[in-house]
Amino acid sequence: MIRFISKKGQTFLIVGMTLLFAVALCGLAFASGGEGASEGHDQMLNLFYRILNFTLLVIILVVVVKKTSMLRFFGERREEIKEKLEALTKERQTAESRSRELEKKLEEFEIQKKEILEQFRAEGAKEKARIISEARERAAQLISQVDHTIEREIQGATERLKQEVVEMAAQRAEEIISKGIKDSDQDHLVNEFIKSVEKLH
Amino acid sequence: MTGSKISKRYAKALLSLGQEDGNYAAYGENLKEFAELCTDNPEFSKVIGNPVFSVDDRKKVLNAVLAKSSFADYVKNLLQLLLDQNRIGGIEDVSANYTRLTDEISNIIRADIITARPLKDEAMGKLDAVLAKITSKTVKTNVEEDESLIGGLVVKIGDLVLDGSVRAQLEGLKESLKRGEYN
Repeated sequence: MIRFISKKGQTFLIVGMTLLFAVALCGLAFASGGEGASEGHDQMLNLFYRILNFTLLVIILVVVVKKTSMLRFFGERREEIKEKLEALTKERQTAESRSRELEKKLEEFEIQKKEILEQFRAEGAKEKARIISEARERAAQLISQVDHTIEREIQGATERLKQEVVEMAAQRAEEIISKGIKDSDQDHLVNEFIKSVEKLH
Repeated sequence: MTGSKISKRYAKALLSLGQEDGNYAAYGENLKEFAELCTDNPEFSKVIGNPVFSVDDRKKVLNAVLAKSSFADYVKNLLQLLLDQNRIGGIEDVSANYTRLTDEISNIIRADIITARPLKDEAMGKLDAVLAKITSKTVKTNVEEDESLIGGLVVKIGDLVLDGSVRAQLEGLKESLKRGEYN
């Protein structure tokens, strides 16, 4: 209702209503008196002063309120708060949007993390298999080399033993033949030699 | 090698002279005799072959010895020449080469026979005959004994070696066993 009346009208309305209310109160006070004229006169005067005082107070308040533009201040303040509320709402929306983006990125990071971990696990398993395979191959090679070395050592030892046995046998044979050879053996050897030389011709 | 070639030249020179007058065999004997003299008398050999002494002094010593010998003049001249040329120390090589050359002329070949035990005359005769047969030359043998052969004999004719010793057979057997031929 007040919004449809101008500010000036509003001021007059307030002052008028105040004065009407003050006069009504004075009449009521006067009507309720009757005993003693002087005493009633003093009371009326007192009432009058009070009403006047009150009226002046109201006028001052209206003037002060009007002069200090309180209404405009509160209106601006209301607008400011409204703007702030809107800005905060926007910021909140932005923050919520940012939060959603971050959550989405976090989910993507989680997925990537899982993928990287899976990849690393797969590569680790592959590398492990390769290392084990190489180790087995190397072990097989070493075993083969050791087998060959053992075989060679055995062959070498056998050969050396054979040589020693042959040397000892030859030495023993030489000793036996040296002791047992006779002139007839020498003659036989010479004759055999002559026959073999004749065959050369 | 160079000394041997020079010795051969001296030997050839003397042989050509000997062939001309037909006394090459005697010259060979003279050379051999002088070489043996040097071998048997090392002091004499040292004196005439030592360049510390003057050639004249050494020649005097050589001539004193040659004067008492019955060597042919060519041989004496050769020995004096060797002394002049400071090659008298190689007289054994000269003698050996001369013998080799005369052997070639006479179709003679020398064989060294090394035997474990003394050879009987019959075996020696057979051996000479068979060696002459395979070389187609007259064979002159030089027999030595070596007990380390155990039995049998070895014949060396120039670069040819015929080994019929028990030691060689044992060595052959030993090598065969080492090679595993009898496994």
